[in-house]
Amino acid sequence: MATRLQFENSCEIGAFSKLTNAYCLTAIGGSENFYSAFEAELADVIPVVKTSIGGTRLVGFLSVGNKNGLLLPHTTTDQELQHLRNSLPDQVVVQRIEEKLSALGNCIACNDHVALAHTDLDKETEELLADVLGVEVFRQTVAGNVLSGSYCALSNRGGLVHPHTSIEDLDELSTLLQVPLVAGTVNRGSEAIAAGMVVNDWTAFCGSDTTATELSVIDNVFMLRGDTRPGDGFDGMRKSLLDSYK
Amino acid sequence: MPRRPRRHQRFKSWPITFSPFGRALARMGSISMPKRRSESIENNTPSSASNGFIKHPLDEKPEGSESSDGEFDGVVQADFAFFDPKPNDFHGVKTLLQTYLDVEEWDLSGFVDLILEQTTVGTVVKVEDDEDEGVFALVTALNLWRYREQRCIIKLKDFLLVKASQEKGIADQLRLLLGEQAHNVGLLVSQRVVNLPPQLLPPLYDSLFNEVSWATEDEPTEDLRNSFRFKHYVILSKIYKHKNAEQKRKLSDDSVEEIVYVKPEDEIFHKLSLWSFCFPLRTQQPAPHELKNYRAMGLIMAVEADKIPSFRQELGSLINET
Repeated sequence: MATRLQFENSCEIGAFSKLTNAYCLTAIGGSENFYSAFEAELADVIPVVKTSIGGTRLVGFLSVGNKNGLLLPHTTTDQELQHLRNSLPDQVVVQRIEEKLSALGNCIACNDHVALAHTDLDKETEELLADVLGVEVFRQTVAGNVLSGSYCALSNRGGLVHPHTSIEDLDELSTLLQVPLVAGTVNRGSEAIAAGMVVNDWTAFCGSDTTATELSVIDNVFMLRGDTRPGDGFDGMRKSLLDSYK
Repeated sequence: MPRRPRRHQRFKSWPITFSPFGRALARMGSISMPKRRSESIENNTPSSASNGFIKHPLDEKPEGSESSDGEFDGVVQADFAFFDPKPNDFHGVKTLLQTYLDVEEWDLSGFVDLILEQTTVGTVVKVEDDEDEGVFALVTALNLWRYREQRCIIKLKDFLLVKASQEKGIADQLRLLLGEQAHNVGLLVSQRVVNLPPQLLPPLYDSLFNEVSWATEDEPTEDLRNSFRFKHYVILSKIYKHKNAEQKRKLSDDSVEEIVYVKPEDEIFHKLSLWSFCFPLRTQQPAPHELKNYRAMGLIMAVEADKIPSFRQELGSLINET
């Protein structure tokens, strides 16, 4: 079941947080409400870490990660890097990269297996994505928009994309990503999906303007109906249910 | 009763950042354009008709106007139009009201919904035919009694009272206005993008106060009609106060202003106000270079409704001077 929340009156919670299957990052806000909402849902399962990136609160827009690793822009300070390395589990590789498109979260959408990247991404970054995050990288636009990270929210079970994505594009992306995809909105009609929500395999958080309809679409496509627990063995089923073309 | 036609203004470019359209404007320079002679008055699109209030934007569609993308001839033309608030304006209006209560966490979405539902009184300024439907300005008046049970209004009243608690004497007057006298008190909300051309202000305020007086006659029920018979307006706004206000008075240096008003009409409201006070703001916003000696403060004031005609007159002359 997805949770609705706000960061200091803003419903763009995807800007201020990053959620994966192994950890969660949140921005440091004026009140503790934001952090507490994540903690309440996740504390027993994965670490929730408060941080800034490059001195800013836009941790969601600037970083990209999954259970295997976390990539940070060159603007990240040494202290922030060290803090993250200390706070995250050992199996998560934290790396700062030199990439001119420094808003990594806006440029790259990923889950634990595949990533959709901005078409102008550096070759080195693509290789780092494959190495550190262990994903297959596809340079793709979403609804004609190069900022694939902004217009697509992805988990291992499903994905939500920009509302104007055509049926052909949806099919193509779904084949690439090997997950069911739905075109929809979040935060009462906002098209910037990843700015408005964060999701992992068992839970999601959306901005508080998200309507009940949008929430039910999210619950459906990401299969969050509450009757599954983390590590449900979905990964095992996945191989037999979905073909992969190598 | 003759309806005053909406006026439509076209302006040179300026930095506005609330929409991709605005950002395109910001990237372009500005050059003077000779005024167009032809004007055509178009009868209105279905986007704004309610209770018999039709808005007539005067369209000035220059022929062959648009500069193509990438060409930097520096001329951008925009036709502003005044509209009734619509549910579609939600995101634009919410952006404008983001810092209305400083950093307070409150039901901002509920407040925006309230404003958008009140179509009889309230105006939203947008660009004609803009696909993004970016909202450049908003003005409305909300009766504090009519909406007294809304969560957002309760929080807003608490916010005002907390800020007033330091001011002896004013706190009691404010409490009266928000409580017993709330039947006739309107919260005047006016927010806009920073560089909105000031020539739009007189028609904008005219439209607000005209709608208020039309509403006292045209609303379907007696209660609603009475709810617009405002005797007082409460205004929450932002100003910049000189950091060395005390020193300033001693030196009586006239070249430096003690208070810089972000919105020009606030100066007139402040002068005509029944009472007013300032409070420090907690939002950290980098001040523009010219304002580095100033601190941003919130300003709360009450203005009697019978001062409004002189306000409208002074606003007209203030804008015409500049």
